[in-house]
Amino acid sequence: MRLFHDWYVAVLVNEDGVQVDRLRWTGGGGVQGAVERLERVAQARLTPEAAQLLERFPEANVEPVGEGELPEVTAEDLAFLDQAALRLAERGVADAAGDLDRRLEHLHRAMEEVRQASNVRLSRLVEWLGLFLPDLDLDKDRLGTARALGEADDLGGLARHLGLQTPLHLPARSEWRSLRDHGAAAVDVQARLDRLEAALRTLAEAHLPSLSALVGPMLAARLCVGAGGRARLAKLPSSTVQVLGAEKAFFAHLKTGSPPPKHGFLFAHPWVMRSPLWVRGKVARTLAGRCSIAARLDAYEGTPMTAEDVAEVEAKVLAIRAAHPRPPSRKGGR
Amino acid sequence: MGRASGKPPGRPLSDAVRMDVHAPWTWSANPGATVYGETLRKAKQGEWRRWDPRRSKVASGLLRTSGAAERLLPAPGDHVLYLGAGHGTTVSHIHDVVCHGGAPGRVVAVDLSPRCLRDLTRLSHARPGLVPVLGDARRPEAWRAWLPRRASWVFQDVAQAHQASIFTSACERFLVPGGRGLLSLKVESDRGTDADGLRVKVEHELADAGLILEEVIDLEGFEDKHLLFVVGRPPRA
Ligand SMILES: C[S@@+](CC[C@H](N)C(=O)[O-])C[C@H]1O[C@@H](n2cnc3c(N)ncnc32)[C@H](O)[C@@H]1O
Repeated sequence: MRLFHDWYVAVLVNEDGVQVDRLRWTGGGGVQGAVERLERVAQARLTPEAAQLLERFPEANVEPVGEGELPEVTAEDLAFLDQAALRLAERGVADAAGDLDRRLEHLHRAMEEVRQASNVRLSRLVEWLGLFLPDLDLDKDRLGTARALGEADDLGGLARHLGLQTPLHLPARSEWRSLRDHGAAAVDVQARLDRLEAALRTLAEAHLPSLSALVGPMLAARLCVGAGGRARLAKLPSSTVQVLGAEKAFFAHLKTGSPPPKHGFLFAHPWVMRSPLWVRGKVARTLAGRCSIAARLDAYEGTPMTAEDVAEVEAKVLAIRAAHPRPPSRKGGR
Repeated sequence: MGRASGKPPGRPLSDAVRMDVHAPWTWSANPGATVYGETLRKAKQGEWRRWDPRRSKVASGLLRTSGAAERLLPAPGDHVLYLGAGHGTTVSHIHDVVCHGGAPGRVVAVDLSPRCLRDLTRLSHARPGLVPVLGDARRPEAWRAWLPRRASWVFQDVAQAHQASIFTSACERFLVPGGRGLLSLKVESDRGTDADGLRVKVEHELADAGLILEEVIDLEGFEDKHLLFVVGRPPRA
């Protein structure tokens, strides 16, 4: 005895291929009834009709959905199917917001954009203000300068407040107001950037606990976004993780045979950045290997890495540095 | 977005499709609305929508084919399968065709991206018979129930690894004997294999799956390095 079924029907056929019993969904539950049956067959679970037939003939063999000759769908079935499909598709769209990869990506990209905007504003601001205040240090505490400007009443007052020479030229009233607005806006953008970073840290620590513990939440987020999501990052070989973010140099290497990049995003990590030039590649390789392990722990939701695990990696990095205190001598040279 | 009126564009391919020198046009199943900013042309009892060959590989295929263009399209009332539906540009024109004159056609439009599905579900509200599916072309078990009758026409445009084998198994599973399949493929030389090599490889894969290759249309000029493979599934012996 074999049980064939689909979302709208279940059929029982005996050894000679003769139909013994059959149950059709008759539209009970309306569109929702169709939704439930479609979900069940998609997950390879029995529909209520198939389950009922199986109760009558427990010895029957349940065949995979879609096998065998089933009665045709009716026009009413199709009308229900189409409405149910639309409902399921809309639910899928709404469910995309549950995907932390997508949320992390938007936060990360928004942060990069705001960071860039913040830099542009501050650079313009100190150059503009510096024109009037020749002894202003343009590189020191640009945000503090912006804050003081945003709160000043006039340029002379600002100069006194900052302990600078009295300016030789004063801006026109409207010009001054625009300059001051620019200062206030720069402060505001910085505050938004801080909030974005805090939100990104929180999300990254939840989504990538091990990787965040290992390289910090910001770098963890960048690796994840760069790889196209957590699951993909976990599947990458660690040699690819090592050069994530250096794709241009990597493809140039494949094409022209230029030396391969030693690191991409991972360069931002102090273990790599603060290592001497000649060990950075080795350190980056070690770190990339551990990043791959961390990403797999995160993707398969294993027990996250602990502070001890991270300390052990750091010890390894320090050992690499200690083993290579001097640059390697060139082949044949002295 | 233009709205000109006057005589119908070009010459007829069928009741639902006309062809001028630069583009095909379809008789709109949802008059008054554009889907992607395409030109509309009012007619007595409805409206023609210009089918932009730079935005749609089926449209450019219709212009480039060396055979009868109408054979590349499904007929009103057909059930069809579209893998890699994107934002619905091409899907909307195929929907115009299969639902022409109120025919009970269905376009099952599968895409992996929730962002694309967002646009497809909106479209579906205005176009009954357009059935959006959030699903993976590589995992047909999850959505095969959405297509209870075999399709007479299968189109695939997924920009994915192993595209040819995804297509052949879709045809095997869903295409009715005697039906037609179109596979859009980007053939770019890869390390080791050149574009011609890839083309030959795909042709072999299609033949091994028992599909009859009717034509390979080069879309160069409309779509860089893209080929459109047109196959038929042999009628049941
Ligand atoms: C080039 S676009 C399709 C454009 C569309 N054919 C048109 O002409 O309007 C390719 C689409 O394939 C989708 N895609 C990629 N891999 C897929 C898969 N495995 N299953 C389903 N859709 C996929 C992508 O999300 C993307 O929307």
